[in-house]
Amino acid sequence: MITRFITEVNAKFNPFSVASRSTRLFLSSLPSDARSTGMKINAKLLPQTSKETASLMVKFKDGKEMDLNGEQLGIKGIIEEVDRHSRALQKQADLTDG
Amino acid sequence: MPPRISNSSARCIGRALPTQNPQCFSRPPAIPWLTRTSQASSQRHYASAVSPIPLGALRLPDDYIPPTKPPSARRPETRKSQLLRAYTALLRSTPLILFFQHNNVTAVEWAAVRRELRKALQEVEAPFVASDGKVPADVAGSVELQVLRTRIFDIAFRVVEFFDPKIASKQSKAYTHDLSPAAYESIKAANLADPNSTYATMSPLLSGPVCAVTFPAVSPAHLAAVLKIMAPSPPAFPAPTRRKNPGYYELTAQSGLQKLLLIGGRIEGKAFDGEGVKWVGGIEGGMEGLRAQLVHMLQSAGLGLATTLEGGAKGLWLALEGRRTQLDEEKNPKQETAEAEAEKKE
Repeated sequence: MITRFITEVNAKFNPFSVASRSTRLFLSSLPSDARSTGMKINAKLLPQTSKETASLMVKFKDGKEMDLNGEQLGIKGIIEEVDRHSRALQKQADLTDG
Repeated sequence: MPPRISNSSARCIGRALPTQNPQCFSRPPAIPWLTRTSQASSQRHYASAVSPIPLGALRLPDDYIPPTKPPSARRPETRKSQLLRAYTALLRSTPLILFFQHNNVTAVEWAAVRRELRKALQEVEAPFVASDGKVPADVAGSVELQVLRTRIFDIAFRVVEFFDPKIASKQSKAYTHDLSPAAYESIKAANLADPNSTYATMSPLLSGPVCAVTFPAVSPAHLAAVLKIMAPSPPAFPAPTRRKNPGYYELTAQSGLQKLLLIGGRIEGKAFDGEGVKWVGGIEGGMEGLRAQLVHMLQSAGLGLATTLEGGAKGLWLALEGRRTQLDEEKNPKQETAEAEAEKKE
């Protein structure tokens, strides 16, 4: 997964729900030096009894915000969506750098 | 071990050899081991009550390696069967386990987290001696942080939850250990989605990267110390101050701790979420404190009940007594007042 262009990740999930699995896995797929390279990662855990669905918000360097529904997409879908935008940014960055 | 040849074949060979005569001992035997086996056969006792061979001689040496099972090159604790047994033992013996999700924590960060954890636990005051004279177990030295292999932990959880070796041993004489076919059959037949079981509640937790902090006893003081380090929440469980514990604010320790998320816990066989774990950590004085609270509550409730019941009876008695004196006064005012005065004097 291309994580260079992500500036902020906000996740909210109930760990006792099976549906929140992909959101949790997305957090674990971020690199180990993500925080030290300037990415803001906020994870909020919901209580066991809450029926709220898991939510994941990803913000990119160009200001685009992406609200991803982990329950429908699954971890592969989330990574695909994030990478689609990251690849465009990568292309732009390559062109401007020369 | 001497080479084995069955008696019949030894005799056949003996007969076939012309120079060999088992009855004749004048000549030295041509093939020594052949005659030795035949001698041994003549000395053999069948169905004897006492074995001529001492039992110790039948035991295999301790370092004996069966030829069909050569020692593995892998470390034994990483083998799956061994890991399963370790996890079932852990789940059966550990009353308090906290589960954390760890997101790409590096080795140096793990080391820093463990160091801070150890330091915080050492600072916890040793609990007082209980009223019955029992000294509580040394918790601080045995709290461990370990990364779980979730798939095997999941199976171990099933074995602990749905397999009872005592019941299985009553039903059949087959083996009933955790790796046995009996265990396998029972967890296969179990209803895993049963909402009343702890397994069904906990199994969604055990996916992805998960590590566990295990406590050998339910000790809220130690739990609070661990929560202050690994999942600080300011009013109840504040992180240690920079002046008191500068190592906690070191870069590697902080980056490691930021990647840990408290997702839940298993306390006395029940599932708790983060808030529930914090509630247990907030119990002052541990189990003793909780017992004292209960005793106080029951005592005060008892006192309140007694006064309430007494109050009703007292009110009734007073009303009836008042009515009686009133009636008496109406009948014969002078005499009764005199009698009442006399009663009062008595």
